[in-house]
Amino acid sequence: MMAAAARRQTLPAGDPDAEHRRHLVSALVIDRPGTLNRVSGLLRARSFNIESLTVGTTDEPGRSRMTIALRGDDGHLRQVLAQLERVIDVLEVRDLTTVPHVELELALVELDPPADPDAEAAVRAVLAQSGGETLPTTDGTWRARLTASPDAIDQALTALRGHGLRRLVRAGAVAMTTTTPPPSENGEPGA
Amino acid sequence: MTALRLPDPDAAAAPQRTVAPRIGARAVCEALVRQGVTTVFGYPGGTLLPIYDVLREFPLRHILVRHEQGGAHAADGFSRATGGVGVAMATSGPGAINLVTGLATAMMDSVPMVAITANVPRALLGKDAFQETDIIGIALPITKYATVVMNPDEVPLAVAEAFEIARSGRPGPVLLDFPKDVLQEETTAPHPEPHELRLPGLLRPTRGDVPEADELAGLIAKAERPLILAGHGIQIADATELLRQVAEKAEIPVAHTLLGIGNMDETHRLSAGYAGMHGWMHVNKAIQQSDLLIGIGCRYDDRITGKTSTFAPNATIVHVDVDRSEIGKNVRTDLGIVADAGDLLAALLPRLPQSEPRTAWLDQIGEWRTVSEARSWHGSGAWRQGRLSADYVVDRIGAATNHAATLVSDVGQNQMWAARYYGFRKPFHHLSSGGLGTMGYGVPAAMGAALGAPERETWAVVGDGGFQMTMQELATLVQDQIPVRIAVLNNHRLGMIRQWQEIIYDENYHSAELLGPDLVRLCEAYGIPAWRATKPEEVDGAIAAARRAPGPALIDFHLDEAQNVYPMMLPGKGLSDMVEGAGE
Repeated sequence: MMAAAARRQTLPAGDPDAEHRRHLVSALVIDRPGTLNRVSGLLRARSFNIESLTVGTTDEPGRSRMTIALRGDDGHLRQVLAQLERVIDVLEVRDLTTVPHVELELALVELDPPADPDAEAAVRAVLAQSGGETLPTTDGTWRARLTASPDAIDQALTALRGHGLRRLVRAGAVAMTTTTPPPSENGEPGA
Repeated sequence: MTALRLPDPDAAAAPQRTVAPRIGARAVCEALVRQGVTTVFGYPGGTLLPIYDVLREFPLRHILVRHEQGGAHAADGFSRATGGVGVAMATSGPGAINLVTGLATAMMDSVPMVAITANVPRALLGKDAFQETDIIGIALPITKYATVVMNPDEVPLAVAEAFEIARSGRPGPVLLDFPKDVLQEETTAPHPEPHELRLPGLLRPTRGDVPEADELAGLIAKAERPLILAGHGIQIADATELLRQVAEKAEIPVAHTLLGIGNMDETHRLSAGYAGMHGWMHVNKAIQQSDLLIGIGCRYDDRITGKTSTFAPNATIVHVDVDRSEIGKNVRTDLGIVADAGDLLAALLPRLPQSEPRTAWLDQIGEWRTVSEARSWHGSGAWRQGRLSADYVVDRIGAATNHAATLVSDVGQNQMWAARYYGFRKPFHHLSSGGLGTMGYGVPAAMGAALGAPERETWAVVGDGGFQMTMQELATLVQDQIPVRIAVLNNHRLGMIRQWQEIIYDENYHSAELLGPDLVRLCEAYGIPAWRATKPEEVDGAIAAARRAPGPALIDFHLDEAQNVYPMMLPGKGLSDMVEGAGE
């Protein structure tokens, strides 16, 4: 746990120049009713708007992993994470923003069937760029899944809106630390 | 005088029971007894009745409060006066909701307590059953932990864990909600041993030596005008003696937060006094002029700092707290140390050389102090001109009780007068709702304090506003003959509201005048001896009479209505520009 680790703290409070940016927080929590409420309630009390929040089971029975994407300044967030850490059902909290990590999101889309082979090729090209593939359907509808970074999914959706995007469901970001920064989709080093 | 009839002890005898299955309610009571609980503040209700059905079998004194808020504050007062864990009990729905103000009060001031609520049977949860409320949903942000116990077999562990959570690390209130049928079903689950608690997410301070004390000792060695700002955390850590030793060895004067009052005998040469919005001018000047400010077990909250950008501008700011999330939250922090206040002080003491007297710095504070005390209403002696001032009343209570009473204040002007003028000597003697500022805290909290620490005299110093918020507990005081002396600083006003409207809102008074009952006749109706004092010369006699009463007593002090609390830091301003009023 973080508490025992870093005992000495040097912190500027309310630094007006602190960067306001997107943060990706990973929290290991106890899997029981109310935990989500405690975590989201604390963030709400501190006026953070949650961009996405995913919860899933882990390999360890009774433990879940939450990945929370939100925006805020570094100092404010660091203090809130310390508050999150003291929630009894939260075992570990980490801001992944400043460490090497891989981040992915799943999106499901439904599209108008492409009007012609050119349109179909364009859609397939977008899907290929965003880790996507079409899903089999029996009703002639085009459905596809995208698996990519939230930014890449944003870009893919912009492109797909020109090809009859009907419906959209996004899962929210999941992330995992890595020892080195992963390459991004366009081959440049990632965050 | 006894207008209230006391219960007939014969009528209260329990019916004979032949079979006593070990139901959830019995497991709850067993677990409380195992935690050392002796007193429970409660109010029965439909879903909580299984506990009342077995309560008499256990060595638990039940205090029947007149409103659950009173029960929650009483449990809080019991905790603060004893350093233990007070317990409040309420039924589902409105009963549980009435605890909320008391839970939030305890949460803000890091007071350990356990609240037990009952709820509708499991099958009815979430179905809007009679007196059903999602009390967990309500309690989450105002408790350290709140959970529902859904299985009778979990009862022993849940209660043991609740107490552990409440008192460990930074203490706080815990609420346990029991559906009625969980209290009624049988269980054989054993009570856990300490190592069997499952609390992997509970932050426990790293105990033992604090190596960072080296760095702090280095800062102290270089400082010319060091000052300790001592908070509630020092009393929670039971480290007031260590604080005195550190202060003496390093020759560092000590300022107190509101809840830090009692950290040091106020007559000690190194005790600077109470700081903040209505703190002593010389203490606030010392903060602003210090070159090293060492906050220990405090939050650097806004009532201490004022505008943070101008707070302690010349100082290297150190912050020691057991809760990592406090460090850097409010003020710029040059050195933050996450540690129990007692561990830090114990680690610091051997690292400090015996300091030379800091004559220049201490003399400077002493000079400021002479001016600041002379300017206060008390120093100016308004009472000599026949005006009954609050500072005089509080000062006389201090003298009469040899500064050794538990003094519980309410919120507002009365709170500031009590903090400034009683003259505290010891820890756990000053109780007040500091963080939440809960009017109505005074009388019920004093009730709990008097039961928790019966060896001390207990006084509630309250205003006429806060008193009227929870005065229903007068009946509890009578029924259980709880010897609380209530001093109502009665200015027939919401005094602090009026003070703000006078100074900040251009005398545009609204809702500041407060009609109240004739308190002496009110007490007569309850069977409580009461006196009224309207002149300074009546004060000592009334205090002496109240002290002679075997049970509760009340004095209605009719104050000079124009008296404000000065100095005062205006909202949005800093410690360097305090207002000193006309009376100062």
